Amino acid sequence: MNRRKIDVILSAALITVSLIILTNDKLVEGGMETELGSMFVPRLIAVFILIFSGTIGIQSLVKLKKREKLTIHEHINTTGFGGVGIYFSIFILYWLASPHLGFLVATPFVILAIAYLLGGRNWILIGIMSVIVPILIYYGCSQYLRVFLPTWSLS
Amino acid sequence: MIENILQGFATIFSVGPIVGIIIGVIVGIIFGAIPGISAIMAIAIMLPLTFYVEPVVGITMLLAVYKAGIYGGSISAILINTPGAAAAFLTAQDGHALTRMGKSGKALCMALYASVTGEMLSTLVLIFVAAPISLISLKAGPIERVYLLFFAFTVIGSVTGESISRGLLSTCLGMLFATVGMSSITGATRFTFGIPELMSGFTFTPMLIGVLVMPEVIIAIRQRNSAQGNLKLTVSPNPEDNRISWREYRSVLGTIIKSSGIGTFIGSLPGLGSTTAAFLAYGEARRTAKNPEKFGNGSIRGIAAAESANNAVCGAAMIPMLTLSIPGDDVTALLFGAFLIQGITPGPTIFFEHTQVIYGIFAGFLLTDFFLLFFARIGFKFWTKIASVPRYYIFPCVTIFAFAGSFTTNQNINDVLLLILFTMFGFGMRLVGLNPAAYLIGFILTPMLEQNMDQAVAIVGDNYSMYFTTPFAWIFTGLAALSVYSTIRQRKRAKVKRNDSACLEQGEAVADKV
Repeated sequence: MNRRKIDVILSAALITVSLIILTNDKLVEGGMETELGSMFVPRLIAVFILIFSGTIGIQSLVKLKKREKLTIHEHINTTGFGGVGIYFSIFILYWLASPHLGFLVATPFVILAIAYLLGGRNWILIGIMSVIVPILIYYGCSQYLRVFLPTWSLS
Repeated sequence: MIENILQGFATIFSVGPIVGIIIGVIVGIIFGAIPGISAIMAIAIMLPLTFYVEPVVGITMLLAVYKAGIYGGSISAILINTPGAAAAFLTAQDGHALTRMGKSGKALCMALYASVTGEMLSTLVLIFVAAPISLISLKAGPIERVYLLFFAFTVIGSVTGESISRGLLSTCLGMLFATVGMSSITGATRFTFGIPELMSGFTFTPMLIGVLVMPEVIIAIRQRNSAQGNLKLTVSPNPEDNRISWREYRSVLGTIIKSSGIGTFIGSLPGLGSTTAAFLAYGEARRTAKNPEKFGNGSIRGIAAAESANNAVCGAAMIPMLTLSIPGDDVTALLFGAFLIQGITPGPTIFFEHTQVIYGIFAGFLLTDFFLLFFARIGFKFWTKIASVPRYYIFPCVTIFAFAGSFTTNQNINDVLLLILFTMFGFGMRLVGLNPAAYLIGFILTPMLEQNMDQAVAIVGDNYSMYFTTPFAWIFTGLAALSVYSTIRQRKRAKVKRNDSACLEQGEAVADKV
């Protein structure tokens, strides 16, 4: 994948965000009056973002126009992106399911799924790990940290 | 000061801190030794555990992970030529050459002794230098601190990024994210878009784990089809090949001291880090060596130089953080966050407000070196075995720890969503060449900048000349400009060098054809 194209799109998006921060007064609510004002620092940052993203965007655009050869850094290797997508899907499902199924029920499935994704096929050991690790974390959190991880709430 | 140091040792010699250090050393060696997992990942995962313990226990445990993790990186570098971090690249060259000769024990011993000596020397510098510097920096008022912070942003942004503009953009993005939520000065809510969860800003721990740790899991998933190197310790029948004799250690002691000095100096400058230190020290050791041709082919002096410089950065990196409130790299940014979570703001006042804690931490630093020496030396075989655990056992556990760590901060499931979003963000940042360390430092330092800027504006009023009358203004502006200029020059030189070598290769190819 050509990173220059992404640079141009990203720069355009950041420039737009910066312009919105610089011109929109509705991004801040309430607060007391000070000499500096609540939006001074965010606007100062927006100016710098405008400059740096503009620099990156223009450099990449010029290189795109000149059709210069891609350097190693400018080529994004997309190998393995399918696995990354699956990993994020597992993680999102975990986030959605754990408040209902509970940490102890949801976690073994997640461990098994990620281990499978990474090429693990030693099911006995992975199975034991998927049971022991959640129990240890749950027990450690509740006993020592006084943090109570989500529990089953479907009944 | 001596009294404070003794008090520090009295604080550290109790069950809690010692158990913390032992856990930290063990976790650090394991995580550092596993290829693909860095010390920073271990620190970030351990961070939520420290919320509920005393600051001395929590911080010393994290520092032990840091120190042991840096050493642990040399195990995989020496045994399978896979440096866990760029800083261990040179150790891999000489160390793996020794492994191929059947002398892996010698290489591991040299790396350990050099690491511990380097760390100890830089810790002593930290102890004796930090407090006097903090006395000077205490004289800086809000105006001077604003200049100092701008200097820090410029240096870190320009040095750490793939290019200056990308590094500085990373810092600016971190700064912008830090402004989300309620302003601590005016009480106004910014960029919350009516979402009440955003009122308190982005929770630090899930953001930290998402930006720094989880992208490493993603990288492992992307490379899941590539073979994992198998760590194996070969024991030579000749006992001399499995250890470093006192004579050998003494012969490289000069190199170790010089390299530790280089590492300490480089570590005390924000943004440069252990890789620069290791390369500089290695270059200097080779330049002054009687037999420079041995470097890269199994030289114990090479290992000593790279490892002592690399590890000396650990202690020295704390100097700018504790004296000027500037974290110089990603690890110190993380430790800065750990201090803040414990209710301690790193900076010059720390030596007066939290004397017992800070000297306890210093004593813990020294004690960590002894534990590292002990645990690493007795268990080379054991660490090698543990570090060979396949990644399909490690990364599912890392994911679960990240989930639990994010949840424990506020006992809020929304923080897990934040973790997922920041994982995507951190992964995206790496893809487009933005730097997570610069981002984090921008995020951490912005509230301080805003506070000092507000105070500076109130002090100056209409007398704008006050901004330029302080010598700090000129010194820090000059230093910031110098750092940007030197980085530009350095990168131009590197580019010219690359082009020259490409031309040379092309020329040779043409000559071959003719």
